[in-house]
Amino acid sequence: MSAFIDARNVPAGTVLTPDLVIVGGGPVGISLALTLASTPLRIVLLESGGMTFDAKTQALYDGSKVGAPYLSLEATRLRYLGGSSNHWGGWSRPLDALDFEERTWLPHSGWPFGRKEIERYFARAHTLCEAGPLLYDRLDKLALPVGPMLPLGEGGMITRWFQFSKMRNSQLPTHFGDRYAEDLKRLPRLSVYLHANATRLGLDATGKKINQVDVATLSGRKFSIKPKAVVLGTGAIEIARLMLASNDVNPAGVGNDHDMVGRFFADHPIPRDTATLVLFNGQLASYYTQSQTIHGVLVRAGLFPSEAFRRARAVMGSSITIENKTELDDLGKAAVATTAAALGVNADDAATYSLGCGMEMTPDPDRRITLSDERDALGMPKSKLHMRIADSDFARFRETLKELGRQLLASRTGMLRLNLKTRSEWLEGMDWGNHHMGTARMHVDPRKGVVDANSQVHGIANLFVAGSAVYPNYGAANPTVNLVALTLRLADHLKGVLR
Amino acid sequence: MKELLTLFTRRRILIGAGGAVALTAAGFEARHLLHKRYAPSPYDDLLKLLDDRDADAQIGEAVLAEIDDFDPKAVANDLRARLSRHSLAELVASNAAEGQLVEAGGWVLPETLGLLCALAAKAAA
Repeated sequence: MSAFIDARNVPAGTVLTPDLVIVGGGPVGISLALTLASTPLRIVLLESGGMTFDAKTQALYDGSKVGAPYLSLEATRLRYLGGSSNHWGGWSRPLDALDFEERTWLPHSGWPFGRKEIERYFARAHTLCEAGPLLYDRLDKLALPVGPMLPLGEGGMITRWFQFSKMRNSQLPTHFGDRYAEDLKRLPRLSVYLHANATRLGLDATGKKINQVDVATLSGRKFSIKPKAVVLGTGAIEIARLMLASNDVNPAGVGNDHDMVGRFFADHPIPRDTATLVLFNGQLASYYTQSQTIHGVLVRAGLFPSEAFRRARAVMGSSITIENKTELDDLGKAAVATTAAALGVNADDAATYSLGCGMEMTPDPDRRITLSDERDALGMPKSKLHMRIADSDFARFRETLKELGRQLLASRTGMLRLNLKTRSEWLEGMDWGNHHMGTARMHVDPRKGVVDANSQVHGIANLFVAGSAVYPNYGAANPTVNLVALTLRLADHLKGVLR
Repeated sequence: MKELLTLFTRRRILIGAGGAVALTAAGFEARHLLHKRYAPSPYDDLLKLLDDRDADAQIGEAVLAEIDDFDPKAVANDLRARLSRHSLAELVASNAAEGQLVEAGGWVLPETLGLLCALAAKAAA
């Protein structure tokens, strides 16, 4: 067993020569290192932080933002071993097949491959995320011990399932750093450097290969790595920053010949209290409002637009969760009494709930990361986020909610109030998933994407990007399980090319 | 004695009957007084389908806020035509099935019900 290496103690000027350097010790970097452990590859994993939160290290994430309201760039991610899994909620769900498809009504849509390409990696991804066996929507066909699913009748909205990461039999999600530190230390050909920040990707004279990665610590120590290949496995914002800031050979940055690096940034908007749900008979199975163990898996039900509905109505992906019980105002009481009477149902025991949601954003090249004029403590330019969110995203999600309202009436199950209408109303209660996606999108055409279908940066033979930065489209599924599955696919590719 | 008993019984019956008539009249008067009376409107034939016109007018105000060019006469005629062929319950179910919906302060309502409420609001105005 080897201990982790504190980069602050590495002699200045040291040059490491591994086969592969992985930048970032979050779910991507850790999953990749664990998966490649079975190969003869000598691997260096660089983690900026240590084993726990440190304010000075976290401050390296500081950046600026313009445009639509968004979270502080310093607060929306975590910079120590395990990365942002350290504030992960554990919510898991694979992307839909539709999320991968090109849609005529959605500009910039389509992955280079379909979901089938990563399906075979979901089981292993679930193991790494400790999210249990893949049950999800198969739960529909299994006996549900705590009551039936909501009767929604025919329509575009259906009950589907989240699974949750559950670390070591506790109710906590898996924090990859805590969970896998000892496993990483046992890998003989892996060296994990803590407090080690990649500050430059050095292109060779041809501009077609990375021949050096510069590393710096906050204590002032500097050394370098000359690897055969590099995988960028940090979050999407940091990947863009590092590629753009590495501009000594190519002024546009690394892999940015077509000005695509940093573009198409996205997150999942989570506007609060988007709708009010009334169930006429007051009956709701508890798995809709809280996670619970069913058939050995920690699950929670949500309401989702079916893929057929999304195609037919040209709406983005979304998920709706049933949250807290709430009270009706006078108009609400009148609406429920009148509607129930007209439908011929008894609403004496009606129950009312607020609804939460996660929305998918339309791909937007101008929602992007650039470099600001400010520099961080290591001398690197800070990130600048140009945030945008289209009114059409709100309108499309409102259509989805309205379909739920229609089905509730048609099935005489209940009714729905749409609580948000104007842009200011949507933005007022806005939260975000902290799911950073895009910035190094995948596309077979170098003019439309940063990486190719194998996650290799276009035009640079030995540079790869892993994680949700490569998402060309985002879906509504929480990214962790999906980005780990993508990482496992990349691991298989690397096993071939780095032989 | 028998006659006395008969007379007594008749008297009780008469008193009882008189009391019943008085109570019925009082009850009728109370209902008459308690039942809210509305000014006649051109839509009363439709509004009688609603249980609580005040509450429904409140919903209707919210419906009207969503509709720019509401023509109550035309809406009433259309509703009469629809309701001549189907019951309100049938129309409401059909509206929901076919996505014919209106909003009232965000509440998603079957169109027929929302328009009836809008007429209640117009009648109350």
